[in-house]
Amino acid sequence: MDQTLLDATGEPALRYTVGGAEPSREPPVLLVHGFGSDFELNWARAGWVGALRNSGRRLVGVDLPGHGGSPRPHDPERYTPKALAALLARVLDAVGAPEADVVGYSMGSRLSWQLAVDFPGRVRRAVLGGFGPVDAFEDTDLEGLERGADGGRFGAVFAAAAALPGADTAALAACARGQASQVYSPSPAPDGVPLLFVAGERDGIAEGVESLAAALPAAEVLRLPRRDHRNAVSAQAFKSAATEFLARGRGLSG
Amino acid sequence: MTHTGPTSERTFALPDLGEGLVEATVLEWLVQPGERVERNQPLVELETAKSAVEIPSPHTGVVARLHAEEGRVVAVGEPLATFAVEAGAGIVGTVPTEEKPTRRVRLRPPAE
Repeated sequence: MDQTLLDATGEPALRYTVGGAEPSREPPVLLVHGFGSDFELNWARAGWVGALRNSGRRLVGVDLPGHGGSPRPHDPERYTPKALAALLARVLDAVGAPEADVVGYSMGSRLSWQLAVDFPGRVRRAVLGGFGPVDAFEDTDLEGLERGADGGRFGAVFAAAAALPGADTAALAACARGQASQVYSPSPAPDGVPLLFVAGERDGIAEGVESLAAALPAAEVLRLPRRDHRNAVSAQAFKSAATEFLARGRGLSG
Repeated sequence: MTHTGPTSERTFALPDLGEGLVEATVLEWLVQPGERVERNQPLVELETAKSAVEIPSPHTGVVARLHAEEGRVVAVGEPLATFAVEAGAGIVGTVPTEEKPTRRVRLRPPAE
């Protein structure tokens, strides 16, 4: 069922949907999509709704601002990792979830990390797909995004997103600038949150994820054979690893 | 598992994936010929120009043939898989009326 989260002034801030299995004592799984995608494209069409339903998990899926059915502000400040993580925490409030397991992909993984850091106790376990410690924007011409000027690591991602029907290029550019304004750092790491990193073996965006995981107290890595950043998300091995990892529940050990 | 009713073959073609997409690449088959599948069971993963998608099986039955190996590009309307479907198998009480494949697959001209 689609729901709308309102901001402090009563304006719509974000669209989200609740589905999967019936409510249970397990916390819900919050699904956070990547840049230029949305819940439907990133998760539903890739088969995650059925996979989570079959494993008995309730799901909460968001369309991040600037994406899908959510509002599309053009102010980069609305898209910083901290601002978006705060919105995700408010979604958990809205669905009555003191804590959740989180599955992110790409930018959604960056935000899931931020949510776990900024809101201790709200994230029980997290699966971070298509994500690595390298700054995706380090070689990006952020001012030239709308003109298609960027040729860096992020350039292809932006160009593909901007080419989709209905894309709001100005909102996507604002999102990229907001994200780039707070460079990812592995420190501080989420405290007491077991992490599973999953990426296609050909995913350049996830470069260095093995060393990132090795430096964390409770992190695992799964690389998916023959998959890249764009097509890893539908892999059965990704879904089964994620649902198995989340089913371990509380605690840092296996 | 015994069934006495006759079976008929049904071929599932690549459906219209929306957004003007005219083709998709087979990423991975999730079933094999000879395997029994339930309707809505994950059938195949495809990659389009937009994203990776998981296509559910449109039929309950046995997979007779797969028409495109992994890595191949398939156009909308081209056959993906053929199923042997038991006619009148009453396992779930009511037998849903099968739509004709031609109604399920809306062809969309590449120019759109």
